[in-house]
Amino acid sequence: MARIAFAWELGGEFGHAMACAALARQLHARGHTIAFMFRELHQLAFLADTSQYDIFQAPVSVSEGHGEPIPASLADILVGCGYDTGRHLTGLLGGWLSLFQRWKPDLVLADFGPTALLAARVLGLRRVSYGNGFSIPPRLSPLPAFRFDEPVAPGRIAQSDARALASANAALARFGGAAMQHLAQQFETDDDFLATFPELDSYGNRPSTGYWGPRFSVDSGVAVQWPEGHGKRVLVYLKKTLPALDTLIAALARGPHRVAAFIPELEPARRARLAGASRIVSERPMRLAPLLAECDLFVSQGGNVAVGALMSGVPQLVFPSQYEQYITARRLEQIGAGIMLPPDAAATGVEGALQRALGDAGFANAAKAFARRYPRYSAPEQQRRIVVRMEEILARPSRWSALPPPGAGPILTPTQGSGASR
Amino acid sequence: MARVLCAWEFGGDLGHVRRLLPIARELRARGHSTVFAFRDSAYLHGVLAEGFEAFVAPLLRVPAAVTVSPLNFSDILLNLGFDDPHGLHGALRAWRSMYSLLDPDVVVTDYAPTALLAAATLELPRVTVGTGFSQPRVGEPLPALRTWEPSDPNVLRAIDDRVLNSVRAALAGVSDRVPRSAAGLFDANAHLLCTFAEIDPFGARADVEYVGPQGDATSGVNLDWPPGERARVFAYLKPGDARFAAVLGALGQLDADVIVAAPGLAPEAALGASRGSMRVVASTVNLERVIGAATLCVCHAGPGVVARGLAAGVPFALLPQHLEQYLVAQRVREAGSAELISPDEPPPDFVAWFASLLAREDLKEAARERASALRGYSFAAGTQRVAERIVAVAAG
Repeated sequence: MARIAFAWELGGEFGHAMACAALARQLHARGHTIAFMFRELHQLAFLADTSQYDIFQAPVSVSEGHGEPIPASLADILVGCGYDTGRHLTGLLGGWLSLFQRWKPDLVLADFGPTALLAARVLGLRRVSYGNGFSIPPRLSPLPAFRFDEPVAPGRIAQSDARALASANAALARFGGAAMQHLAQQFETDDDFLATFPELDSYGNRPSTGYWGPRFSVDSGVAVQWPEGHGKRVLVYLKKTLPALDTLIAALARGPHRVAAFIPELEPARRARLAGASRIVSERPMRLAPLLAECDLFVSQGGNVAVGALMSGVPQLVFPSQYEQYITARRLEQIGAGIMLPPDAAATGVEGALQRALGDAGFANAAKAFARRYPRYSAPEQQRRIVVRMEEILARPSRWSALPPPGAGPILTPTQGSGASR
Repeated sequence: MARVLCAWEFGGDLGHVRRLLPIARELRARGHSTVFAFRDSAYLHGVLAEGFEAFVAPLLRVPAAVTVSPLNFSDILLNLGFDDPHGLHGALRAWRSMYSLLDPDVVVTDYAPTALLAAATLELPRVTVGTGFSQPRVGEPLPALRTWEPSDPNVLRAIDDRVLNSVRAALAGVSDRVPRSAAGLFDANAHLLCTFAEIDPFGARADVEYVGPQGDATSGVNLDWPPGERARVFAYLKPGDARFAAVLGALGQLDADVIVAAPGLAPEAALGASRGSMRVVASTVNLERVIGAATLCVCHAGPGVVARGLAAGVPFALLPQHLEQYLVAQRVREAGSAELISPDEPPPDFVAWFASLLAREDLKEAARERASALRGYSFAAGTQRVAERIVAVAAG
């Protein structure tokens, strides 16, 4: 049985912890030993099945994002998260190396874990990426822009790419690693579990690759049933920090709809405003499958959960609050299955969107049509195949070799073209 | 050979690293091994470069709003993230996993209350190090931080209860070893205060060990005073302080030789501010070399600089920036060798203030008395004393 480290380094949504936990549950049940190396640890309070796992803080920069412009490419994000200088990155890479050298994973699963991948590269560890596409860039040089609705100067993309690469190479050199020619090499893995659909891929077109379907598990969580009544059924899955949340709560509390909501750590006062005879507010993640099976509208911020819910053929209202979610929301609009609102939408906008999404059958039809494109997809089957693939990778000899340990080499190294012939 | 884990969670600045790194070097020289866990990955580079193993400390969630004037140390813990049982639960589990993995013989915490609590739940030997502020006086309830202000024990108790409830919720399903009082959160085998008892921010006390300030003051650029009989003012200032420009302007007008160390200032700004008999450098300076011959030391009352000045017999003009420094400044003023301006006071006419302090014979006399009491104190031996005590606790 193998030791598998889940490395979640960047990205701040509940979806990372949830997706890792769902996959880890399968692996643990098969006898593998699990470590969660997570950037955020507070989600563990919601993940009941993790008590057997080792838990570690992922090395992250406490100055993340300070003073850097709005990112247009993954290299931009890296520069803002410790790849600004080789010195800064050396600390982060060293932190990952310490974790891996001590915990000794047989396989590293990187969920938006670029520096974890770099550390696995230094140590020659088997590694896979697991994400919805945003964190798994097409391996092009320079790493392409993900911004698609405004011009991005090519020079800027190349410049950040070169800066992140220089920092990565400086840090690699510090630990005896060979330099990379391209930043894209950092993302080389044994496999990429690109957990989305091509239509929702953050990068649109990418060189030919496989897709594994959305990774949000609709089959875990507490059982919640739709309240009795005749109102439309609105499923709400948001963060309490969404600026428009109070506006939405007011609109739902005034309206005739039935509501099932999970808003992690919602304050009691706001919870009281939303809850009612026809409105359930869950304190723990809800099992979404039975709710989505009879749902008229799904409201989210556009993370993994939105892509997952698409397979239930349910129309969506999306409040993206960062660019990755914005891309997903735009794609849902393009498919015709959803409406996007700004995170600070005003009351009239929220009420109008609720009315449109619940009144126009076109949204539901488009969502159902999309779901019919992938009849063979199911979350359990996806997880089963990922586990099989991981075990295949573990069963084979590693294709990576560890870099030689740093330090002085042997004195008597034969050198070509020297010695006796001279 | 002891395995030592040094944890640092809170407090900015280089002070914590500059305290822990020499301790680790000393432990290594004695054949023991040290692993670091630092909150700020930016500081891992330096310890990795010396061949130490280093991890990132588990992070608590930063609260959206904090109490500006915390009443007791429980209130500070709430500000640091102890009000969030979910975040605390995750961080405590991560510390416990780290301890299980590294199997330390002793956990040394430098302002690392979560690390300390997690170590207590595993009954690991533990030592706190610091200059006192992060090692508060304990009691039931935890005492008020501002002893000069009226405080209500019931209010303090309620704050303690809030922390304890959060800790209890965070440890549910993790450990049964929940502290029974807020004081229990600070329970350790030894509290080592790397400072002089007379500048303990909470006043000298019996239940801690004053191992004295450490060396490392010789790092920094070497500067020398110009020859002559003029007064010499040494200033160690943070350029981010709101009073920085006014203080610098006033120092430039004094009839004295002035050396200003302002680490973090842009080098060109330092060059531009140097004029006449005032030199401004944008880095730390070799304190030992410069402070001994100074007539007055102007600083924010950081414990390290104050300890150096006390041992050298120099009077102080103190401009504390926050509570910890204010408490230290109060101690020095009580002992008679300093005056202070609190961060809340309107700034005085600094030229007049400095000039008046330079003329104060009582300050000089008190400073000389303090120095003679500390004569023979070895800063270099401070680190050795800490290392000895850590090894002793590890040995049980």
